[in-house]
Parts: sequence; C-alpha cells; structure tokens
Amino acid sequence: MKYTFKGGIHPYEGKELTMDKEVIECLPKKEVVYPLSQHIGAPATPIVKKGDKVLAGQLIAEAGGFVSANIHASVSGTVKVIEPRLTSSGSKVNSIVIDNDNQYESVSFVPCDKPLSELTRDEIINAIKAAGVVGMGGAGFPTHVKLSPKNADEIDTIIINGSECEPYLTSDYRRLMDEPEKVIEGLKIALALFPGAKGIIAVEDNKPKAIEMLREKLAGDSDITVNKMKTKYPEGAERQLIYANTGRYINSKMLPADAGCIVHNVDTAYAIYEAVREGKPLTKRLVTVSGDAIETPCNFNVPTGTSYEELIEMAGGFKGTPKKIIAGGPMMGKAIYSLDQPVTKSSSAILCLSKDEAAEYEPSSCIRCGRCVSVCPGRVMPNQLARLATANDFDGFLENNGMECCECGCCSYVCPARRPLTQVIAGTRKLVLANKKK
Amino acid sequence: MEELNVRISASPHVRSKDTTSDLMFDVIIALMPATVFGIYQFGTHAAILVAVCMITALLSELIFQKLVKKTVTIKDCSALLTGLLLALNLPPELPIWMAILGSVFAIIIVKQLFGGIGQNFMNPALAARCFLLLSFSKQMTQFVYDGVTSATPLARLKMGLPIDMHKIWEMFFGNTGGTIGETSVIALLIGAAYLLIKRVISPKIPLIYIGTFAICIAIYAAVVKDYNVLEFTLAHLCGGGLMLGAWFMATDYVTSPITPWGKVIFGVMLGLLTFVLRIFGSGAEGVSYAIIISNLFVPLIERVTAPKPFGAGADVKKNEEAGKKEKNKAKTNNTEEDKQSDGRKNTDKSNDSGKNVGNSKEKTHFDMKGITKAVIAIFVITLVMGAALGVVYGVTKKPIEDVAAKAKQESYKEVFPEAAEILTPEEGSLDYKQINDLISSFGYPDDTIDEISFAVNEKKEVIGFIVVVTNKNGYGGDIQMVVGISKEEWKLTGLAFLSINETVGLGMKAKEKEFTDQFAGQPVDKFDYTKTGSTSPNVIDAISGATITTSAVVDGVNAAVTISILVLGGDSNE
Repeated sequence: MKYTFKGGIHPYEGKELTMDKEVIECLPKKEVVYPLSQHIGAPATPIVKKGDKVLAGQLIAEAGGFVSANIHASVSGTVKVIEPRLTSSGSKVNSIVIDNDNQYESVSFVPCDKPLSELTRDEIINAIKAAGVVGMGGAGFPTHVKLSPKNADEIDTIIINGSECEPYLTSDYRRLMDEPEKVIEGLKIALALFPGAKGIIAVEDNKPKAIEMLREKLAGDSDITVNKMKTKYPEGAERQLIYANTGRYINSKMLPADAGCIVHNVDTAYAIYEAVREGKPLTKRLVTVSGDAIETPCNFNVPTGTSYEELIEMAGGFKGTPKKIIAGGPMMGKAIYSLDQPVTKSSSAILCLSKDEAAEYEPSSCIRCGRCVSVCPGRVMPNQLARLATANDFDGFLENNGMECCECGCCSYVCPARRPLTQVIAGTRKLVLANKKK
Repeated sequence: MEELNVRISASPHVRSKDTTSDLMFDVIIALMPATVFGIYQFGTHAAILVAVCMITALLSELIFQKLVKKTVTIKDCSALLTGLLLALNLPPELPIWMAILGSVFAIIIVKQLFGGIGQNFMNPALAARCFLLLSFSKQMTQFVYDGVTSATPLARLKMGLPIDMHKIWEMFFGNTGGTIGETSVIALLIGAAYLLIKRVISPKIPLIYIGTFAICIAIYAAVVKDYNVLEFTLAHLCGGGLMLGAWFMATDYVTSPITPWGKVIFGVMLGLLTFVLRIFGSGAEGVSYAIIISNLFVPLIERVTAPKPFGAGADVKKNEEAGKKEKNKAKTNNTEEDKQSDGRKNTDKSNDSGKNVGNSKEKTHFDMKGITKAVIAIFVITLVMGAALGVVYGVTKKPIEDVAAKAKQESYKEVFPEAAEILTPEEGSLDYKQINDLISSFGYPDDTIDEISFAVNEKKEVIGFIVVVTNKNGYGGDIQMVVGISKEEWKLTGLAFLSINETVGLGMKAKEKEFTDQFAGQPVDKFDYTKTGSTSPNVIDAISGATITTSAVVDGVNAAVTISILVLGGDSNE
C-alpha cells in the first residue's frame, strides 16, 4: 500500500542530477554571514561585537525569546561588522559578518552517552535549544518549541518527512542514505519526549533504495515504521503528509500537534541527534546545488553563512547563462537576483535554470478546464480564489476558504492558460494576514 | 563573478507543458476520425461545409477582436474548434450561407459578446446549431443519405418503427443518415479514447450522461412500451448526436462544471433531459437542447457543489475531544473554549441555518445534504420540465389534430358546396407514391398529391373529387391547396388553401375570392395565366406582383385536375 492524498502533480523531478553523487564537504574561504533572523520568531540577539575573535561552534547570538533560536559561528575568525545584509527572503536582515581565518578552530563539544531512558525531558529540550536547531525543511520553526506543544500528552505520532517532493532536491535523500543511524537516533530522541508515541519515516517511492535500507535497519523495531509514499508533489506538505500517514486532517487554523502529530525534516532529526548526542550546535547543513545551468550539480555539506556565490563556484560555476536562480525548489523556492547572500539553517537548495518556464507564455483567459481544482491538495477552487483576489474581494476570498491555500503552486503549474493563480492567491493571503495583525 | 541577468518572479517557477491551444488542438485531432468519415460518407459538400465553418469562425473572431480593439486570440485554436464542432452538427446538404451564418452567430453572439473565450455560458457550436434549427428547421432536419432524403434512425424510432441489430451495427459504423459528424459511433469513440489517453477530458461527465440516459431509455422501453429493450437502447445510444454530444460537447471546459460533484450532477441532468426531450419532445433529437439547457445551470451547480476544503471541520472535532480530556486545567480550558467558539463561528459561517453548532459529523452531513439537495432539486426540475412538456404535448395533441381536421373538412365543403358528404379513403387504400410518380411523369414534378377524397350526393353517388395538392414553388415555399373537381364536365368547383406562406399584400392575395373565383365553374383540363388581362376562361389573371405565386397555384390546380382525369375519371373525352 502506498500512502498518498487527493490532488497533486507530477512535475519533472530532476533528482537524477545529484541523487547518487557523494556529498562534498564545503569550506568557505571568504567572509561568512549569519542573519540574526533565519528562523520563525524573534530575531536572535548578538553577543559578540565587532573585532571579537570567534571559534567554530561558538555561540554568537542568543535566542531573542521563547520562539527564537541560538546562532553559532560555523568558522573561526573575527567579527567584521554587524549590519543588514541581503537574504533569500529578498530583504535585508541584520547579520553578523565574520572574517574567515580559514583555520577552522573549533570549540570542543561534550558528547553524551546516557541511554535515552535516563535523559530527562529538560535535558533533551535544553540541548536542542542550546544547539539552535530549527526546522530545516524551509520554514525554520525552532525545534525546541515544536517539541514542547501544549497538549504534550496527546502527541502519538512523530513523522520524519523524507518525502522530499520538491523537484531537484536530494539533500534529504543523501542524509538518509549516508547517516541513517543518526537520523533514526534523532527520531528516537524526539520519541523519548512523548511516551507511547510512534515514529514514522515517510519516504516517496522514487527513493526505493532509501526505503529498503531504512526498513532493514529498523527491522524488529516496533516503534518506528517506514512508510512508502506515492511520488507526487506536494506529498511532503505538512497537512498532506499527516493525512497520508495517519488519516487525520488539519486545516490552516491548526498545528500538527492538534492532530497529535509532530513533523520533522530529515536534516532536523540529524541535527537533533548531533545536538543531544554530540553536543554540537547546528552550524552545517546539506545543500543541493543543481539545475541545468550548473556545471557539476551536487550536494554540499555547507557551513551556514557561506555565500551562494562560493557554493556555485565550488559546483564548477554556471553552464551557459542562467535565466533564473532559485533559493529552494522550483515549486516553492524564491527567485533571487543576487548571489551575495548566505546559506542559512533552512536553505535546502540553490537551483540555476537556463530557461524561465514561468515567463515563456503570456497569461491568457481562464478556460475553466478545472485542472487547478482537481490538483489542489487544499481542495479549494484556485480559479475562483484568483478571480476574487484580483478583484480585491477579501470577504469573498475568505468565504471561499482562501486561507486554506498552502501556496504549493500546483494550480499555477497545471494552468494551461498560464494564469498566475498561486501568485495572486498567495499575495492576497499575505494581505489578509497583515490586515489581521493590525 | 559575471553580472547576473536573471528573472525574478513568485513561485512556482516551473510549468506543465499543456497550453490552452494544445488542449484545443487535441480536441480538433480527436474529432478528425469523425470528420474524415463524415466527408468520406457525404462527399464534397460536407467537406466544403467543414472548411467554411472553420474559416468563418476564425475570421469572425479575428475581425471582431480587431474591431473592438481586443487582443486577438485566434491562435488558441478555440474558434477553429467551435467552427469544426458546428460543421459536424450540420446536415451534409445545408446551404453554405446558413453555415456561415451559424459560425458567425456562434463566435460573435454566443462567444465574443459575452467576453470571449472562457466567458460564454453556452456551448457556442451547439447554441448556433439550435439557432439554425429554429430558423431553418426544414433545411436543418433534411438528411440526405445515399441520394435520398430519408428519416434518421431516431426519427424512425420516434415513429414507433423497430430497428434491428443489423441496422444498429450500421449505425455503429456510420452507414446511416445524420449530421456530418454524428453518424459514426466508432469514429467518435476513437476520438474520445484519444482525449482520455491524453487526459484532455475526464470520463466522468460522458459516462454518467450516457449511463443515466441508457438506464432511462431501457426502463422506458421495458416498462412503458414493451419494446425490445436491448435493441431500443442500443439504437438510442448509437443514434443521433449522443456520442458526439457526450464526448465532445458536454465536456466543453467552459460550459461544464469544474467541481467533482458538479460533474456528476451535470451528467445526470444531461441524461435525464436528453431522455425527456427525445421521448416526449416534438423532435426526434434532444442532445443539443439538453446540453445548452444544462449549460445554463452550471453556475448554480458549481455553487452548491463547491468542494469542502482540506481539513474543514477538523478543528472542531479535535477541540471537542481536547475539551473533554482537559477539564481540570483552568487555563487550558479557557483556551479550549476560545478555540471552540472559534469553531462555532466557522460552522455558523458555512451554515446559514446556524443550528448545528460544533459537531463535525453534522457538518459533514450538512455538506452531503447540500449535494443531495442539489441533486434532488435538479432531478425535480428536470422531471417537472419533462412532465410539463409531456402534459402540454398530450393535452394539445388532440385539440390541434381536431382543429386541423375541422379546418380541412370546412375547406372541403367550401370547394365542393354541392356535396352532401365527403368521404376520405382510409390510409393505405390509395398508393400515393404511384400517384405522384404518375403525376410527375405527366409534367408536374413540383406537385405532390397529398390526399384524394370523394364528394358524394345524397344517394351516395360519387359526383366529384377533392384533391389536396402541394406545390413547392411558391415564393415562400410550399403552398398546399384543396381543389374541388366535379365529375360532370370536369368542372372546377372551388379552390382553397390549407397552407400558404406568401408575401402579405402580394402573393397572399391568392387567398382572396377575386383570384380563386376565376377557377370556379370552369370546365377545362388545363389552366394558364397571363399578366396582360385574360381573354379566355381558362386563362387566369395573374396576381399583380406575384407571378410566382400565381404560377405555383395554377400548376397545382392543373396537377389536381390532371390526376382526377387520369386516375379517377377514365377518359377525359367522355
């Protein structure tokens, strides 16, 4: 049986470009940049100042509140300046800039060998919090907050999202293939916080090797199952993933915890392991550098703060002229216009494409083919919402469940009239949310 | 590093390959088997009609958009498709100018005036077909096959004539009369298979449509009529425009619902309407009207079948469970209550009655109820419409026939005042086909003898004949007249009109006494007419300005006299 949901699309996967290549260790040579806000919640507060000498793994900014995360240096060097720098969000964010001395002198980490049963809840949460672990799938929600839900005794399922449904991305797959024990241990640590909870590792069936290998490793483990997901975008979207694995529905007003679930990215589980077992802060992550405008597409293990420019150079530079550069996957990633920005905790990929499919055709009239409705995983009517959104009819937009859109992009992808459905709906959602905050 | 010249846009950054024109073109390709077969079967005129419709549709769109200064969208192939669909829905012998008129109507009136592609509320090709049907009903229902005008299989069914398996196979392959594109079921199904494989259409609407229709027809055949259920149902499925309509026009994106449940309701509605129109309607065919009527209901259907968003109602359920568990913690309780009232608000919003609060089961029930309600409502509407049609037909059938019969009797009396009684031989006792062959060989190919009756005196002796004759050369089409002929000296006793559609003030003057009296009492076997003033009793003064009418009437009267003398009187030199 394959786990899946209703709707979704099958775009070109592009995973073969990087899937079976070994991960390359990346060591940045130039300055490294740490935005103080690379997670959801309050920005971190810098605890170093210009001219300070820092070591790799040293805490340089403290969480600015409960929903916030610590930031650590990933290289050794001197603090050059603290100033606003461009990030892939498109705006400038206050950042600590460190001049890399290329020595990679590191603080020493204290491993922890205690059996899981002896670790207390606070020990685990504190270790994760201290390491500055955030959701590494894209949103960057602080992990210690996610693991402290109000209804802790109702959590019965923790899902490791290994579906990696975004085209081109293979960093999670590489992590699963290269460090399966550590990912599984990360999940076990999370499970230890919720007695009675079961673990699920959800992997799409286009990664049969990973599924087979994990099932082998977990043979005889009654607490963790490996679920084979149908390959379809957006199989890894949180709501769809929870539904596919547990049959429970959540909507835009709910958190996964409301359905008794917690969802973690593969790399996050790995980071939990490193934080708790090895005492290491989150200073590195796997990044896929891919696309047809990259000389040698591959996966890098990258210290956070490394600039995109250096990463692309390490991948052999451009092949031809890129028409579009995307931070993240092609479905939900952000198009960027400058490479002078750093890899953050939630950067999963840099994609360089030689053509911009989105600009190839002018939008034409809706022919009501209904494809957007049939692919919409949120089961709303994108054609209708887009019409209301264009007319600035916010009431109509809300009445027609506009807020249930998860901005996955399926409707824009399939639209034969090339209408920017996701784009106008997403824009209106942001306006509605902004108006609510007023 | 080199200067970047990249584009910025909001996600997603990739697109599927299909574009609007690809989809339209796919439908055109899928229609090719039927088109090629139609042209092969019906010949050059059919080919010309197809070409003319497509070109006219394209030009209409181009010219209209140029005139109103809109973006020209002929490249999306939708106008081409409309033209082709219209052509496939036309009889193969239709005059070209009517096809042009239809194409212009489809593109400009139905499509462009309502906002162009995606905005038309009816299928343009079908709306144009129905427009032509209403305007030129004769030409639009004349189906020539193998050189003869014959009744379509559906018309035969309508008359209660049986259709055997052999004929059904012929219909399946297309060896039958009909519009250019509708005859070959197999060609249409090949096209439909292509669309399904390419995922251009979903099979939902056609299958539900055909299924509903087949069930209704089968029940009707078995329960009401005691026909051979299989043959009757298959003949109805293969006959007329059902396959063309179901696979290519009911699936038209613009005019069919896009919601999953909407498609179901739409299909059921089409099936019921087609059944009602074919069985109880006045014509033999009902697909076109069924589709354009259902098109009008699409916005309503979509409104009541809007899909329930992912996770709708889930919060309420969860909160209730949570509420039960955590009553000991005051703080949590408060937040739970807040959430619960949030949940209520949501439920209230989506439910106007506002009665069922905070129960997910009832909410689901409500949505099912909404759908059920819609289905029932539309079912009832369809039934009522059908029943109304049936009742009107049933109620009016007898009086209309009576009135017609009475009018006929009256005109009989009028043209033969001396008769004590007029006897019409029972149907079948006279071979009108032979009579008409005869009359045509005597130089009256444009006249049809419709009926011959006998005028008798009180002693039941035949004293004359009353001939109903139709001449097709009137200015406004057929002129049907009643001619009374006395056996004695083959004298004309009178002339009246049953059906005449000439120009008011000119040709219509034929009905006036001044004109008809010229014929009465004249013992002649052939009339003539003149425009310069008659000098002889067998020369009729033409109605001024209406020579054509005069000629048609004179021709008809002569035919009537001739047939009377030939068949009924023996020797005219008696």
